[in-house]
Amino acid sequence: MQKDYIYIILADDDEDDILFFTDAFDELKINTKVNSFKDGEELMNYLNKDNALMPNVLFLDLNMPKKTGIECLAEIKASQKMSDIAIAIYSTSASDDDIEKTFVLGANIYIKKPSDFKKLKKVLSEVVAINWQYHTNALNKDNFLLRL
Amino acid sequence: MNNWFKSTLFLKIILLLSLFVILVIGGLTFRHISNLTSSTEVVVKTYKVNLELEQIISYLRDAESGYRNYIVTKDTFYIESYLNAHKKVNNSFLNLRNLIKVNSEQQENLKILNKLTDSLFSSFAESKVFVKNDETNTETFKTLFFKEKVIIDSIRRQSMVMFQLENKLLNERQKEFQSDLKFTPLFFYVVLLIMLLLIIIAYTKISNNLKNIKAKNDQLLIFKESTNQSEIIGKHGNWVWHIDSDKYVYSDNLYRLLGEEPQSFEATFDNFLKFVHPDDVGKLAEDLDKMIDVEELPFTNYRIIQKNGTIKYLKAYAKSFYSDSGQKRLLGNTSDVTDEIKSILTLEERNLELEQNNKELSAFNYAASHDLQEPLRKILTFISRLEEKESNNFSDTGQQYLEHIKAAASRMRLLIDDLLQFSRTNKPDKEFVNADLNELFENAKQDLTVIISEKKAQIKIATLPKATVIDFQIQQLFLNLLSNSLKYSKEETAPIIKIYYSKVEADKEPILYKAPQSHYHKITFTDNGIGFDQKYAKKIFDLFNRLHNKQDYSGTGIGLSICKKIIQNHKGFIFANGEINVGSVFTIYLPVN
Repeated sequence: MQKDYIYIILADDDEDDILFFTDAFDELKINTKVNSFKDGEELMNYLNKDNALMPNVLFLDLNMPKKTGIECLAEIKASQKMSDIAIAIYSTSASDDDIEKTFVLGANIYIKKPSDFKKLKKVLSEVVAINWQYHTNALNKDNFLLRL
Repeated sequence: MNNWFKSTLFLKIILLLSLFVILVIGGLTFRHISNLTSSTEVVVKTYKVNLELEQIISYLRDAESGYRNYIVTKDTFYIESYLNAHKKVNNSFLNLRNLIKVNSEQQENLKILNKLTDSLFSSFAESKVFVKNDETNTETFKTLFFKEKVIIDSIRRQSMVMFQLENKLLNERQKEFQSDLKFTPLFFYVVLLIMLLLIIIAYTKISNNLKNIKAKNDQLLIFKESTNQSEIIGKHGNWVWHIDSDKYVYSDNLYRLLGEEPQSFEATFDNFLKFVHPDDVGKLAEDLDKMIDVEELPFTNYRIIQKNGTIKYLKAYAKSFYSDSGQKRLLGNTSDVTDEIKSILTLEERNLELEQNNKELSAFNYAASHDLQEPLRKILTFISRLEEKESNNFSDTGQQYLEHIKAAASRMRLLIDDLLQFSRTNKPDKEFVNADLNELFENAKQDLTVIISEKKAQIKIATLPKATVIDFQIQQLFLNLLSNSLKYSKEETAPIIKIYYSKVEADKEPILYKAPQSHYHKITFTDNGIGFDQKYAKKIFDLFNRLHNKQDYSGTGIGLSICKKIIQNHKGFIFANGEINVGSVFTIYLPVN
């Protein structure tokens, strides 16, 4: 399906974070469409629908009720239909365990939520601009965590 | 043992020698006595021969005088005594022949003598006819008479010859005997001396052995007593099982371990089993059976119940060995390990508790700092939103308050970050890898690029080695030490940080007197910062300990605690040296391998 915008999905249970996220894309003035889900189950229900529009980038919080980000990641990577979605882990923590686990499960990049709105905008614009084909081929443990 | 064996061998040899000497003495004595006897026999024989010879002479004389009396008186009564003498002479000849049977020379002599006497008697018989016929005055009779005298003389000579020969023989025998007799006492004396010497040697040896045995006995007594004492103090007892005769011997303290008076019941396995905890009886019997077959077995543990109901934990060990006579025995040692087991149980319990506490604490720390991050991040983001979008709507005071809120929130973030870092450092299950310390240092330096260029800091570093470390922790350590030096730099002076490296032997570093390893990587960080008073050298590693107020320096008091923790995780050492307004030196020691 051809579309003239970048379709972005955010799965995060925190309303404030959703607000920052959408605000940031609004201010970025990139042609994007942001769709958000409040937990993992909602996200998976959406993605599993037959006619669901697959996002260009999926931002996945790890700590969510009902279904955690890790569970969603595993399910997505196991499904033929969804396995091509570029997944950016979007989490408050950047613990070694979490980074290791999500890298192994096949996430494409790990973003630690910034505590500065300017930084947030910068991070998001960079992530959206990534050529995923190229990025994924060169992906390793060291460049998995996005550093600014 | 060897000595003892030698000594018995020695005594055996002495005994054999003594027996030999006694046999020699006996043999010699027997020989001498039989020599003596034969010598005596020879003497007696000689005397008998002499006696017989003399008797012959005397009988002949009787015969001659009887014959002469007959010639003078012509009385036939004298013929009787003459005939008697003849008979006796013949008897003596028979005796003599027996006595000199072995001597051929004497036999020849005897034959001659016999002939002479025969011719004398035949001449007597001849002349008797003349007397009867009264022709004694005839020339023939006179000739005959004269002839008889000549024969008697010859007989005397001949018997003298025999007599002398016999005496000569006797002398020879006696000489031989004398020389034997002279030599014998000396020989006996020498042999007796040897005998005496042997007895003395044997006596010294035996008394020496006895002395040794006495000393050994004394030692054994002491050993027994000390074993007794050590059994009481060490709470153990020993037992011997003579397998072939199925007899047991229990030491006194084994009874005490069972809560009984020493030797208060018969030492048998069944009696012992009465004390064993019912759940452990089967296992113990099985283990004991195994001990018979196998030379050595690991310890067997079981419980016993004393008569007063106290349960004790016992640990037994046994080893089989053979006596000199080849009888198999099992020597065992049983000790009371109740206290040990109880303290191990308590220790295990405590450890578990401690581990649990630690885990909880760690989880709490992690969760607290992690969960605190989220609202804080939002506060900070909202502040940045306010600054960006609403700063024009604030009064100056409002602006200032916003600045203070931002500073406080930033500081809180710093604290939480450091706490999180600290709690991560606390997790023990980290992987050691062989890492190039130069690389880790470069990474740490990279993280500080901004502040390094801001402060125009110079960093001079020696070539570091490769080491087996938890890589990200060592990187954190370098980062903390570097940022510490950068943070506490003098305001007007560009920081100069020098890092030295050497591989050292623990023995040659006095400060490492407690070090368990022999070699260490010694890395020294020196700076020209504000330094610190040496009396705080230990305190600065304590958690939340700060030497400066937070307005001047932005530390959290966690950074160096993390350093210390990391170094502890690596079983290394960290020391600080400071001089106010001169600088500080941090020395770390990491074990080689």
